[in-house]
Amino acid sequence: MPEPRRKKLALITTLWEWRSHANHMGERFLNGYPIDGRWHRPDMDIVGVYVDQSAEGDLSRSKAEKHGFTIYPTIAEALRLGGDALAVDAVLLIGEHGDYPINEKGQKLYPRYEFFSQIVDVFRQDGRAVPVFNDKHLSYSFAKAQRMVAVAQELEFPLLAGSSLPVTFRLPPLELPLGCELEDALMVGVGSSDAMDFHALEALQCMVERRQGGETGVRAVQLIDGEEVWRAGEQGRWSRRLLEGALARSDSRSGIGLSDGRPQDLAHSDELVELVENPAAYFIEYNDGFKATLLMLNGAVQDYTFAAAVRGLPEVYSTQFLLPGQPNVVYSACLMAKAEQMFVSGRAPYPVERTLLISGVLERCLESRSSDHCRVLTPELDISYQAPCASNFCGALP
Amino acid sequence: MTDRAFDSAAISSTPPAGRPQLAALVTEYRKYSHGQNIVDRLIGGYGWESGWYYPELDVVSLYVDQLPESDLSRERLARHPDLKGYSTIAEALTLGGSELAVDGVLLIAEHGQYPRNEKGQTLYPRYEFFKEMVEVFRRSGRSVPVFCDKHLSWNWDWAREMYDISRELDFPLLAGSSLPVCRRIPSIDLPWGAEVEEIVSVGVGGIDGYDIHSLEAIQCLAERRRGGETGVVSIQALRGEGVWQAFEADSWEAGGWDPTLFAACLCRSLSLKPVDESSRHTYPAAEDLPKLVGSPPVAYRCEYADGLRTTMLLMEGLVRDITVAARLKGQRDPFSLLFYLGSGHEVQPNFFNPLSQHIEQMIASGHPPYPVERTLLTTGLTAAGVESLWLGQKRLETPHLAIEYQVDAGSTFRRT
Repeated sequence: MPEPRRKKLALITTLWEWRSHANHMGERFLNGYPIDGRWHRPDMDIVGVYVDQSAEGDLSRSKAEKHGFTIYPTIAEALRLGGDALAVDAVLLIGEHGDYPINEKGQKLYPRYEFFSQIVDVFRQDGRAVPVFNDKHLSYSFAKAQRMVAVAQELEFPLLAGSSLPVTFRLPPLELPLGCELEDALMVGVGSSDAMDFHALEALQCMVERRQGGETGVRAVQLIDGEEVWRAGEQGRWSRRLLEGALARSDSRSGIGLSDGRPQDLAHSDELVELVENPAAYFIEYNDGFKATLLMLNGAVQDYTFAAAVRGLPEVYSTQFLLPGQPNVVYSACLMAKAEQMFVSGRAPYPVERTLLISGVLERCLESRSSDHCRVLTPELDISYQAPCASNFCGALP
Repeated sequence: MTDRAFDSAAISSTPPAGRPQLAALVTEYRKYSHGQNIVDRLIGGYGWESGWYYPELDVVSLYVDQLPESDLSRERLARHPDLKGYSTIAEALTLGGSELAVDGVLLIAEHGQYPRNEKGQTLYPRYEFFKEMVEVFRRSGRSVPVFCDKHLSWNWDWAREMYDISRELDFPLLAGSSLPVCRRIPSIDLPWGAEVEEIVSVGVGGIDGYDIHSLEAIQCLAERRRGGETGVVSIQALRGEGVWQAFEADSWEAGGWDPTLFAACLCRSLSLKPVDESSRHTYPAAEDLPKLVGSPPVAYRCEYADGLRTTMLLMEGLVRDITVAARLKGQRDPFSLLFYLGSGHEVQPNFFNPLSQHIEQMIASGHPPYPVERTLLTTGLTAAGVESLWLGQKRLETPHLAIEYQVDAGSTFRRT
């Protein structure tokens, strides 16, 4: 029997260097990756590559030489492999990292929408569309993100997007029961805006979308920061009980834990206020009345944790989204396993609407921040979807 | 669950009746020493499930053998007025009186400056502490539960004597590494009663210090096999070139180990060194391994009485974590997992949290959650492995390790 034809991939990226997502993700298709205790080599090859910026430390040329793919000067050529028609079976769009302007809201203007538009131009011209994976949020602009999802629906190609946090390991491997009556949820995250808050918001969303009735969309958001965050906690706008639940899952060293090794109950200690450099709270009000909060606590922790209260249950559900360390950054293998799954099956394992909604939530939160932290109504985030029944994270228990 | 203010006065208040009182005997109490990690969790609490957990016991006395400049015990004594320091083990156990006056003992003799013998063993005084402790037990005509951190002793005869004394005086003894109780990725246990043919671990560190952790990781899985534990009949330790020759042998029968188990271990690792600097994550070819493994690798090959074969590999440089894989009869794919101690940013050693839970439960119930025979066996394997290396990588018969025990189906690792 002849060997089945290996699929061909195009990788369209902003920058390919050691620390960039193109390297984290692209390498999985060049070297393979570990999954379920074995080394998996995808039955597909990266063959056409477009790299927007070539800085010092560029790895795309040396990787091209080593792995035998071709770097093209345009996105269209990378998709057509220099020919005159679409010649790949799937596209990885990785528009993270690189030197791009930052707007007045603090958003880095990665050209994901612009790259995506060029990709779908080829699809339209050549009369054929293939699955696309888009790393992180669809675009800094919700309007652009919406158009991306609409085009995918129009041209009927599978589109998967988002962060690796929803699919990475969880400690413990918690999945909220589908259809549970969620009362409250709180996420703790760290890192910069608008890079790491997106990850934290998507991690929060992949948990709360499992609540009774499914996702109904978001009607308002607000972002506050500084001392106001602690006052909001005292007023009960976010739950200290859930903060305790989330921080109980943290394995970070900070403050006393760093200076003399003692574990510390940060949720109930004044040290939290001292440690956090500039706290921020992202309040999300959903259409069904549910509310959730993201606290960005730089300085106090270095990991991402979540806690939720379920109606009628005394205990809190909580977990840590584990980001395994350098150099392997195995969370990117977890994410590429999902992209590969879509490339093979032609079906996205979880809805792109999750990422669309969070692209919008993030943009509107940053608007709130730059508009005197006022509450922002978000009628356009009226996005409903159902969470998949199956768990999609690494290490999920059957 | 209600909000609990962190109240330092609560620490010094008189404990309610019925709270067990513990003595802690430690070699050294400095940042991240085992003494600090365990005692601090028991006196100040730690994160557990969805909250901050305050243990239902009081550590009331502390004996510290060495006080380096970085000592934290004096700070802790000042912080916790109900915790008293004593200058001898006997006083710590009697609270300065004449008879045993505590409900349990923590024996944590890891870290500190102690001599190292010609075989590479650090002579931590676990046996010496233990002997002084049981002297008080005998004098008082009463014994209490004891937790002994890591292996029982570097010296097999002494370890066996410690075990025998615990049986003679009939006190619960819990011992060992935190590996058997830490989180696992994935969060699974070996199916209880499975027929296990061969086990391989790939770990880090050196002999006498880290071999025990890997051996305990293997043993806490192996003991669940059909028929329970039967003991070990022989061991051969290899180092450096000997390990690479065994690697080429490609099977246990030929002097090596099952390569599919080795591969499964590497694929559970979250810290596999890439073969070149421009890559983040690669699967190493056999010829790449020697350059990736920094210091000479070590292997302990053990034959069990019922035919199980295990290989513990220490491959410092190749990985920075500890993984185990087992071949189960009739199963195509190996059973494999990572014993998760942390990855990524600098983490708190929270694998001491489940250990602290088990210590507390043992003190409260009087029943060790898992048999000390596990650690008696791994103590013997550690000492025998070191001995085998010392004798030129000689295969040693181990009739003294005919240690049989049973565990039940319940899992004792951190799952929630």
